[in-house]
This record gives sequence, C-alpha cells and structure tokens, in this order.
Amino acid sequence: MGDNGVFVKRAMVIGGGIAGISASIDLGNGGYEVVLVEKLPSIGGRMLQLSETFPTLDCAQCTLTPKTVETGQHPHIKLLTYSEVEQVEGKAGDFRVKIRRKAAYVDWEKCNGCGLCQQKCPSKNPSEFDRGMGLGKAIYTLSPQAVPNKPVINPSNCRYFKEKKCRVCEKICPVGAIDYEQKDRFVEERVGAIITAVGFDLIPRESFGEYGYGEVPDVIDGLAFERLNSASGPTTGEIRRPSDSKIPKEVVFIQCTGSRDPERYMPYCSRVCCMYTAKHARLYKHKVHDGQTYIFYMDIRSTGKGYEEFIQQGMEEEGILYLRGRVSRIFRDGEKVIVWGVDTLTGKKVEISADMVVLATAIVPQKDAKDLAKKLGIKTDEYGFLTEVQRKLRPVETDIEGIYIAGCAQGPKDIADAVAHANAAASKVQVLFAKN
Amino acid sequence: MKRLGVFICHCGANIAGTVDVKSVAEKIGKTEDVAHSADYIYMCSEPGQQIIREAIRGKGLDGVVVACCSPSMHENTFRKAVKSQGMNPYLCEIANIREQCSWVHQKEKEEATRKAEEIIQATLEKVRRNDSLEAIAVAINRRVLVVGGGIAGITASLDLAEGGYEVILLEREPALGGHMAQLSRTFPDLDPAFSGLFLKASEVERHPKIHLHCYSELEDVKGYVGNFELVIRKKATSVDRGRCTGCGICIENCPVEYVSQFERGMGIRKAIDTLYPSSVPNKPVIYREHCRYFIDGSCHRCEEVCPEKAIDFKQEDERISEKVGAVVVATGYELYPKEQLGEYGYGEIPDVIDGLGFERMLSPNGPTKGKIIRPSDGKVPKEMVFIQCVASRDPDRYMPYCSRICCMVTAKHAKIYKEQVPDGQPYIFYMDIRSDCKGYEEFLQKTIEEKRLLYLRGRVSRVFQDDGRVRVLGVDTLTGKMVEVAADMVVLATAIVPSNGVKDLAAKLRATVDRHGFLTEAHIKLYPVESSTKGIYLAGCGQSPKDISDTVSQASATASKIQALLSTDKLLQDPLIAFVDEEICSGCGICVEICPYEAREMDPHRGISMVHSALCQGCGACIASCPNNACELRNGSASQVLRMVDTFVS
Repeated sequence: MGDNGVFVKRAMVIGGGIAGISASIDLGNGGYEVVLVEKLPSIGGRMLQLSETFPTLDCAQCTLTPKTVETGQHPHIKLLTYSEVEQVEGKAGDFRVKIRRKAAYVDWEKCNGCGLCQQKCPSKNPSEFDRGMGLGKAIYTLSPQAVPNKPVINPSNCRYFKEKKCRVCEKICPVGAIDYEQKDRFVEERVGAIITAVGFDLIPRESFGEYGYGEVPDVIDGLAFERLNSASGPTTGEIRRPSDSKIPKEVVFIQCTGSRDPERYMPYCSRVCCMYTAKHARLYKHKVHDGQTYIFYMDIRSTGKGYEEFIQQGMEEEGILYLRGRVSRIFRDGEKVIVWGVDTLTGKKVEISADMVVLATAIVPQKDAKDLAKKLGIKTDEYGFLTEVQRKLRPVETDIEGIYIAGCAQGPKDIADAVAHANAAASKVQVLFAKN
Repeated sequence: MKRLGVFICHCGANIAGTVDVKSVAEKIGKTEDVAHSADYIYMCSEPGQQIIREAIRGKGLDGVVVACCSPSMHENTFRKAVKSQGMNPYLCEIANIREQCSWVHQKEKEEATRKAEEIIQATLEKVRRNDSLEAIAVAINRRVLVVGGGIAGITASLDLAEGGYEVILLEREPALGGHMAQLSRTFPDLDPAFSGLFLKASEVERHPKIHLHCYSELEDVKGYVGNFELVIRKKATSVDRGRCTGCGICIENCPVEYVSQFERGMGIRKAIDTLYPSSVPNKPVIYREHCRYFIDGSCHRCEEVCPEKAIDFKQEDERISEKVGAVVVATGYELYPKEQLGEYGYGEIPDVIDGLGFERMLSPNGPTKGKIIRPSDGKVPKEMVFIQCVASRDPDRYMPYCSRICCMVTAKHAKIYKEQVPDGQPYIFYMDIRSDCKGYEEFLQKTIEEKRLLYLRGRVSRVFQDDGRVRVLGVDTLTGKMVEVAADMVVLATAIVPSNGVKDLAAKLRATVDRHGFLTEAHIKLYPVESSTKGIYLAGCGQSPKDISDTVSQASATASKIQALLSTDKLLQDPLIAFVDEEICSGCGICVEICPYEAREMDPHRGISMVHSALCQGCGACIASCPNNACELRNGSASQVLRMVDTFVS
C-alpha cells in the first residue's frame, strides 16, 4: 500500500526478451500500465539472435517482430531500454524503483532512426550480437528492425571518445541528435508489482580449454551458429566457417558442453541444446546437401510436443549421425579441426577430422542476475537462477509478494515454456491488482 | 481518381535478394492512380512505418498496398499505421511477395520480380474497390468455463476467481484432483502430492466465485468468443449433495464391492462411494451400473442407514444452461490402455503394473497403505524392474512421441522403493534419460549414486511369468549383451495419451486435435495456450504431456490471457464478413445449412437470410453455395476477386 493508501496498479517488467515481452503484452492487454526495462538498446533478447526455431523451423525474426512491434506500439507499455534497475524500495502495491538510463550519446527525442550515422561511422569492431563474427559500428542498433529503432554509441569503440577525433555521426545527423556530453540519468518509477525476466547467457568460452573454444576459430558455440545461419547475420545465412569463409563439409556438434558435468562445470541439464543441435544439423543439411554432420550426445532429450518426431526425422530422412559419448579433446591440425571422442555404444574411440565444430554450451544465468535479485530481495540458487517459492504449485512466485519471475532467469527452458511461464507471471500480477 | 500508395519491403534479403524491388517500385509508380511508390529495407520497422505515415499525410493517399510478408505477420501493424493518419484501416491491404513469391522462387529472379509486380497490381485492384469499414463491437460475458478439475483446471479456476471473474468448473468424475490425486509423492523434492492438492481443491470448493459441477459434462456449446452458450449435463449422483454431510455410513454399509479403477485394479470400491478417501467434495455418488437397487431393486441399504435422508434413487440427470465469455480446456491424460501391451505381460501377469498403479501402492491412502508388496501374493519384492518408454517413442507399434515425465517418475519410484526396501535391487531399462528441468538432473544423479540404481540402456523384448517370478528379457546396448532379470515385480512407465472423449469435446468447441488426439495450440511457441478458435484456451496434458510445474504455469497462462480478454467491455471483431443483397436473396436457406459457424439465420417475416455479424468468420462457404449470388464478402466481392484474377491472366 502506498503512503496515501493507494495500491499502485502498474507493473514493471525487467528484461525485454520473449518472456518479458509476453508478460508485458498480457498485462497491457489487461488494461494495466507496464514499464518494460531492458538493459540493451532494444527489445527482443536472445530470440532476436536466432535464425529458425524448432520444431517447426519457422524464422525467429518473422515470429518475433510482430511481438516487438506490438510491444513498441502498445498504448499501455512504456519502454525504458538501455536502462538498468539501480535500486528497489517498498512492497507490493508500492515499489519505488530507481532506474539508470545509460547514456546513449544520442538524443532519442530528436533521433528519427534514419540510420545515416550507422552507415557513415568509420569504426568497425567485432559485433557481440554476431558472436564476434561480424563487424559492427561504434554507433549501432541491434538490428534493422530494432524496437525502438534508436542507436547508441559504444564509447569504447568510438574514435571521438578514444581519440577526440572523427565526429562523423554528429556532422551527418540531419536532426542534430548526437550528444557526446550525455550522462547517465536516473528516473524513478512507482509500480505495484515486478516481473523479473532477465533471461540467460551461455557459459563463458574461457572455461573450455579442452574443446579449443576461443583458440581454434572454427570452434564456435550454438548462438554463433544461429548467427551464421541467419539471413541478417554476418554471412547472410550462408554456412561459412570463420577462419577462411569456406563452406564446411564435415561439421561436428557437441552437446552437453559444460552441462551435466558436476565435477568441472554445471551439474544441470540445459534443456534446449538437444533440440537446437538437431535443428542446427538439419538446417546445415538443408544448405549443404553433400555435407556430413556428427552429433556427440549423452542422452537425447526431446520431450516437448513434436520434438521426438523432429529428431527422428533428422536421423532417418536427413542422415544425421548421432554418436553417444563424450569428447575428450579438440585441436587444430592444419585446416582441419580434429575431434577425439568415444562412442559408448561400440566402446570404441572415435576421431573425426572436421571442418567446423559447434559446441552446445551450457545455459547460465545472466551475470548480474544475483545482483538484481539482491536489490529485489529475492533468492537465487547456487548457480544464480532465480528461485520460485514452490517448485510445482507456485512456479512463478517468489518469497516476496508482488515480485514474480519468468523465463530462463528461473531455469533453462525453451521458447514455448518461457512464454507460458511469462503468461503465468502476468496472471499472478493481474490477480494481485484485482484483489487490491 | 484514387490516390494510392505502394510500399515495398526488402525484408532484409528475404525479398530483395530475389525480387528486384527498385524496378518493381519504379514500374508500379507509373500506374495512373498510384500517387506514391517506395521501397525500404524493413517496412515493419519504425522508420518504415514513418515512410507510410508521411506519404499518407504528404500525398493525401486514400488507399495503401504494402508489399511484404504474409498478412498474418504485419497486416495489423500496417493497418494501425494508416489509422494513425486518419485513414480507414480496411483501405490498407497486404500484397504477400515473400511467402508467395521470393521464398518460393529463389532461383528465378526475373520471374519472381515479374510475379511480385503482378501480385501488387492485383492487390491494387482490390484496394480500388475496398469500402471503409468499422470493426464490429460485441458485448462480452465475463464468466469463464473451465473443463477438467485436475491440477490444471484447479489452478486456472483459482487464478480467474481471484482475479474477480466468475468461473464454472466442470469435472466429469465425482471429485476434484484428476491424476494428481492418485500420486504419492512428487519429484524432485518428494513432497506428498495429496496435501498440496487438497489445499488447492478445498480452496476451489469454498471459493464464492467458483461454481463447481462435479460428475458433470459439457453437452453442447454454441456461440463465439465473448458469448458462448453452454448446456451442462449434471449426471445423477443419486445423493442429495445439499443434505449429505459426507459421514460415510452409506459407504460402510453398502454390500457391493468391485475392483476400483482409481486404485488401478488393486483396491475395491463400493457401489456408493467417494472417488477417493477425503475427496473434495467429500460426498459419495451411486455408481448405478454396480448398485443392486438399480440392477434388480433388491437393496435399499444406503437409503436405510443415511441419517440425513440424502439418498435419492429417483434423481435424474439435470441439464443446466450457462453463458460464458471464454473456455479453458484442461482435460488431462490417460495412460496407454493395458489391453494393447501384450508383450509386456501387462494385464495378464498380476505383478506387472503401471506407474499409476505403483503410485497407488506408495500412497498412504492407497490399497496397501503405502507398503510395496506384489499384488499376486503380498510379498515384498526384492528385485524390481522398471521399464521406461513403454509405448512411447515407438512409432512402428505405439506412440512416436516422448511422454516427457516417465524418466523422472521412474527415478522417483526407484528411489522410494530403495528407501522402503533397502536390500532390494531396482533395475531400470531406458532409452535416453530425460531429466531436463530445474533440479531434475541433480535429483537423478544423486539418486543413482546414493541408491545404487542400476540403469540399463536398452529395450525390453519380452516379459513372462516363470516359477513365481517375472522374467524380463532385454538388451543392454552399452555392452551389446542380452540381459535377463528374474524379477519379483515389474513397473511399466506406459505412454501418456489424451483422455477419453477429448475429440468429441474438441469438436463441440470447434477446437482441433492432432493425430494422437492432443489439443492443438495456435502457435507452438508464441501462442502455446491459445487454441486456433478464439476464446478457447488450453492447459495441461490435454495439449501434450507435461509435468506438474509446467502444467501449473500453462494453466496460469490461460488465466492471464482470459483476464486480459475480459478486461474490456466490448470485443472488437474484424468486419470482413458476409452480407446479403436483400433484393436478390430468394430465401432458399442453403446458406443456413452450409454455414459451419451457425452465423446464418432465416428472417421468418421477410423470408430472406440474415448474417449474424458476431458469429460470421468470413469463411465464404455461404457465398460459394448461394445459387443467386445474393451473398458477398465485405471487401472481398466477386467483382474484386475477378479483377484480381484478370491481372494475373491478362
């Protein structure tokens, strides 16, 4: 209850991935005002990096864009992108959230999203969005369909910030929106409930010496393969290996990299890798008909609707070769990447001379999830996933009334489950508001 | 003359990689009534929409064609954009040059370019003759029907009721709980299933906004989103539930005993009984097929002993009419029928039981009071075989899909077994171990290590009885050797299948099911709880196998969708529906017969056919069937369609 006894029927959603978007749209459609806070310059989250999605193989951008556009245009949803939660006070019905609006060095009020600044910016750097495989500009948006479609300047790549030179974007901008002097700003929002949907990360590549990841350029992770396969990615959708841009003819996919490995990495299963690896192998075969794919696995986990059928079809109709076993070492040998492993079904050692290796690396919480949880006063587990109050019957509620969790921040899950989980969180908020 | 605008999207390289968008824009721009023709990399993006808005303002456009992806993607986006400039949204049409052109002609760039141009020209023909239309506002009923009283239906009902909406909850069994009421403890934390469920079910029973109808089924449904009309059949319980106090004296005194389905054939039940001990509601029903009064009139025992005079042999099925605005289908699952599992000896060998049978055995309120003893002789089994994927993942003979929960259920069973029988040995035959949710892998690994469970990767070929034991023949694919286990008891993790009657129910609701009978969602990823029929939502295992946690999330998700749907006073529907030229209509009534949505009706006074605008989905069946061409579709008239066809053939 607020100071004047008013229960604020306005919600905040932290995280603008598919979970946060789904929750926001439900709440907005329910007639409640929503403040959607996203730390990146635009919404869409990880799904924006994906090429196609299993098990239907429809284009991720094509299914996501209507949702991001709807969010951006929704009369009840206020977008605060490039923003982070700094401090949270209060209780259900009266949270006061201090938000840091990071300096974009672009006046978004003036900017009309024409994109001239990005075209003319001379600074090219490996793009994090493209998993280091493509080049991005120092002034950038995450995608041409970004919502909102306003760029930010990354000072660590910008020549003006580094050497006080350049100012090309400032000169070219037709509306005078560039503002190198911009500072972080703080705003406060009053809300009655908060949904935390901060998503996931992949386990950092520095962790994987034995897989050659980070050292051998043609050893990439699953998200990088998504970008390679994406029409809007660095190769415009052609499967070309990073080292020499050749089309790889033998590709090895390795599942459970960093998952189900309690001694060295994460003990848990990352839930989505079996399916996305099968998808990767199938998409690769659709593009490189004479290519051969090998998948190292521990158990094949295809538990969702239509998933088992998807895997079987890949094996039977597309000739994808599954090898049950772990990989012990990956190293470079001339142009080839050598994979040593064991096939536990024959008990024999296997050596594959591959052109490219894709690692299905473990899903881990966002680095700052623990920090955010502390600000909110909610719990995380030993890995940093947000903890629900009761595993089965209350899967989206936390110990604190008015604070809910959604999507992969709670634990690895696929898009369908993340969406349902987020909708569920939105239901709890609507119930809370209706009761007060 | 019209002033039309054409906006051609590159869709990144999706369209522009195949279609020469610049030349198309240029050629279309030369059309007489096209006042503006432009292309852009992503028309759906904010700057793309800005181009459209500015052109409408600057050039005074009175019709717009956006050439881009399928209308199911962005028709709404662009109609909103034109509306913001005061243009009627139905004067904006999509020319699909992606799915229907660039994607299917990637290798024929010139032909694709020509085709894109033709598609746009044809769409221009349509826009030239489009009328300005207004969305149809329909009043909505703010009550909700939930079908199924398992944990999914209970969760959805409580969310909706707490959200302030009245709920009608139907359960065809005499009590709430569904399959969760049969479970002992739940993975991965081994909480007792019943206590958690009991709290929720009791909350439902008490809730002033939930009208609970147990022993009831949905008989008929008419109407559409916001306005469904229902007929509910309340089966005769033969007990006046208003009078009955649940004392249980009738059950004690009933002389008829028969095998209980709830106890999976291991316990007995009376002809008057509750679904399970302490059921919610805790009132019995007379199962008439077993009751001697109903068979031959020979027994009145329950009537004699009932202190409240609640027994009513004359009670008849009752039909209730209700109106609701939305429906949640939470009809749950069954296990694969045992009659069809010959090679596992299931149904023939008494010591071969299924997972739910084992759950009943483990339940303190079950037939053995929680003790693990084999059904044949009551001995404690020392060698136990658990077989996973029985009838799942077996496309040639049974179900091709994975039943999702059996790996965890089996690991839980083996763990509880070892706790109760420390010197016993469990063997688990599996194909892949699937423990893919939060805490599941850890549960499984810990259980394997601490309880020394023996996992054998392979299929079982035969199960047969021999010398008082159950022999299991299988193969261990990791060693490549045959395995034979002489077991005392075998538990089969049988496949999850949709519950009986779902197909009929789906047909009544105009929802669809897949080839296995699971209800179909509108979009597997982004609309996982919406059916393809507006106003009908899906929760729980009726949609596909899932565990309790995912079922509960999905159920709450349906509640979120419905709370949002019912939060407004009126629903706005697309006006792209059929209309009748009253001068021409002869009143033959063919359209009334043919309409799949019951949207056509005869006007008895004027003798002509009318369109119920809220029901009509614009499918066109009446238009095709009208012998007099008296019927047309708004903004899809015969003259419009013919003009479009002319564009392609000329």
